[in-house]
Amino acid sequence: MSEATEMPREHELDTSWMDNMAEWGVSAKPGKRGLTLADIQVGSYGELPKVSDNMTGRPRGSTARPEAYRVGAYQVHTLSEIWLENAEYLYEEALQRQWSSATDIPWHTLKPLPDDVEEAECLLCTFFNEVEFVAGDVPARWIARTTPDYLEARNVLSAQVMDEARHMDVFRKRALANGGGLMRMSGATSGFVGSIDLARDFTEMSTRLHISGEGAVLTMFRMGELFGQNDAEKTMYRLCAQDEARHVAFGVMHLRCLSETAPERREEIECYLDEAEDQLMAGQQNPAGRQSESSEALAVLLGGGIEHYDEGHKKLLVIRRRQLKEYMKRVISAGFADRFENGRSPVPAQYAATA
Amino acid sequence: MADKLSSKAASVDRESKIVDPTRGVPEPKYEWRGLTNEWDVRVIPGPHGLRLGDVNVGSYGEVPDYWEDQTRRPRGSVGRPGIPPLPYSLRSKHELWADCSADLYEEAIQRRWIPATEVPWDSLQTLPDDVEKAVCQMCTELSQCANTELEIITYWQDRMSYGYFEVKQYLATATFDCARQLEALRKRALSNGGGLGIESRGRVNRIILESSGGWTEAVVYLYLLRGTYITRLLTGLLSAAHNEAEAFIYSHMLEDHARHLTYGYDHLKYASTHKDDASLIMQTLLAVGEAHMAAELKEGVVGSAMAIIFGGGIKGARTFGMERYLLLVRDFITDYLTICRELGIDREKTLHPVFKKYLEG
Repeated sequence: MSEATEMPREHELDTSWMDNMAEWGVSAKPGKRGLTLADIQVGSYGELPKVSDNMTGRPRGSTARPEAYRVGAYQVHTLSEIWLENAEYLYEEALQRQWSSATDIPWHTLKPLPDDVEEAECLLCTFFNEVEFVAGDVPARWIARTTPDYLEARNVLSAQVMDEARHMDVFRKRALANGGGLMRMSGATSGFVGSIDLARDFTEMSTRLHISGEGAVLTMFRMGELFGQNDAEKTMYRLCAQDEARHVAFGVMHLRCLSETAPERREEIECYLDEAEDQLMAGQQNPAGRQSESSEALAVLLGGGIEHYDEGHKKLLVIRRRQLKEYMKRVISAGFADRFENGRSPVPAQYAATA
Repeated sequence: MADKLSSKAASVDRESKIVDPTRGVPEPKYEWRGLTNEWDVRVIPGPHGLRLGDVNVGSYGEVPDYWEDQTRRPRGSVGRPGIPPLPYSLRSKHELWADCSADLYEEAIQRRWIPATEVPWDSLQTLPDDVEKAVCQMCTELSQCANTELEIITYWQDRMSYGYFEVKQYLATATFDCARQLEALRKRALSNGGGLGIESRGRVNRIILESSGGWTEAVVYLYLLRGTYITRLLTGLLSAAHNEAEAFIYSHMLEDHARHLTYGYDHLKYASTHKDDASLIMQTLLAVGEAHMAAELKEGVVGSAMAIIFGGGIKGARTFGMERYLLLVRDFITDYLTICRELGIDREKTLHPVFKKYLEG
């Protein structure tokens, strides 16, 4: 190569694009937590369009080209449909708190368990293996449908897809690592009307997935110290709870944002909550619910065996009570406290009945 | 507050609303006990921990050529009749499988990185304006490529059957990788006195996103055609990195991208060896795809930006910078033809004329 080399005409330098850069002179600086997504919300790059006209998949804030192809048929293109105030923080937290089921779980602490207890654990693992990827499949679908202008929210959903893959994986590993195996599926996650899968609106999906579905599971994971039989299981539930808490926070913060920015949708949201609450204790998606086989398995685990089922069942009721209480807190936090005061929701009464 | 609310509501509407949560379970039936297809499985962790591939033992490791089940039944578990189906449209192994999926999944987790805290942002130094613009333009272009990858993966992800969960697991890591790349590139563009550039016209993004016939079709464009080019771009950017921050970003993107290509090539190999006609279909697709790729290469924005980076500015770009970029494109086409040959796809005879011209220099 030499400086004297002449380029063919078609390879001559085109610098016309240099006159079309977007906002220039931006110097975001790292803070105490490094250079976070929040730190680069500067100038026009931090401006979120209430309605996105981005149909080409361009990065928010870049210069649009009039001749660019309209390849993005984004269903979610208004801010209120998906936004939440703390998306940047949830995403950064997800990155910091990733873990490995291969190496971060102390698998060596697994010891042979009595058959009934191993069976109960394996049933629960089969259940979680099945349901965890609802929470992976469904958010993935919505990423593709959301304008990249709301990249912070999309990135949180991407982290959730990753988290749920890891959950699915850790429960499969547990089922196959201690002398047991997978058991019968629950079928709780199929395509019934009103299910997470079939929601055709993001907020409807998020209400079912993040608020009620994952909320109930989060309470259970948090109680993993009670029913985990060894350090491997306790670690597994603790780490899953950490992830799940972020997913639930997404739902709560989004609902809060929506109720503030699109008050005309409040009644619609109340209807989703009505449906969710009908299923909260009665449906099969709650592993501690009244209709699920997994609640029997949980009682066996909580009691320490079939012979202590009654004792385990009493502890199961504590989990249910806590699920109801935490559910109400979330809904109140999301800005829908009225439903617990005006008699619309059956949850306060259910909660009182467990006292 | 919840306690207060609950007692109030309970007294107001007790008759109609209370459903005693204790009802319905007091007598256990244990109908689930003993319902397993295979018991006594005890997988022991190896030196790399307990990996996804390690638990593929006995019937749990049997991956069928066709997965009938349209529910979320975990592979190897006992089914339940009467469960309504979900719209899993990819149910044949040749439509998505790659033998390396489980290993790539674990590798992705081990090789995770955090742009906020691991990139040495303090190593950024002010660059000449033309060079900063070129770097920022490349960040914009590569962001749009990562966005396209993210959107096409997530479009197909939930259509993939559970019999092939290793692929779904791996693609979940690829989804996260793409999100992280979007983040890292945006951070680089906005942290050194620059900004974003002009969006891509999106010729190749378009053919990738419009690949609605099947996931394999998307993989042909996403990884074999464009992905092979991106590897060369990232390698070039890494070799010309201006500081440790850029070197960290490009090298980690390359690691991520290498996994993506490994899956892509491996899947295409599997598809071409397990499905009649697959190689011919890929050949047809590539004949179309090469024309779009050639048009994009000729548009000049990426070439000019890379030439400026290689040349250290506009002056150097006009000579050795552009020359180096043209070598990069030649290397890409050489890689592309090599991989096509290994996959049993004949592209040399009918290679697009523009590609031929780049090869001939």
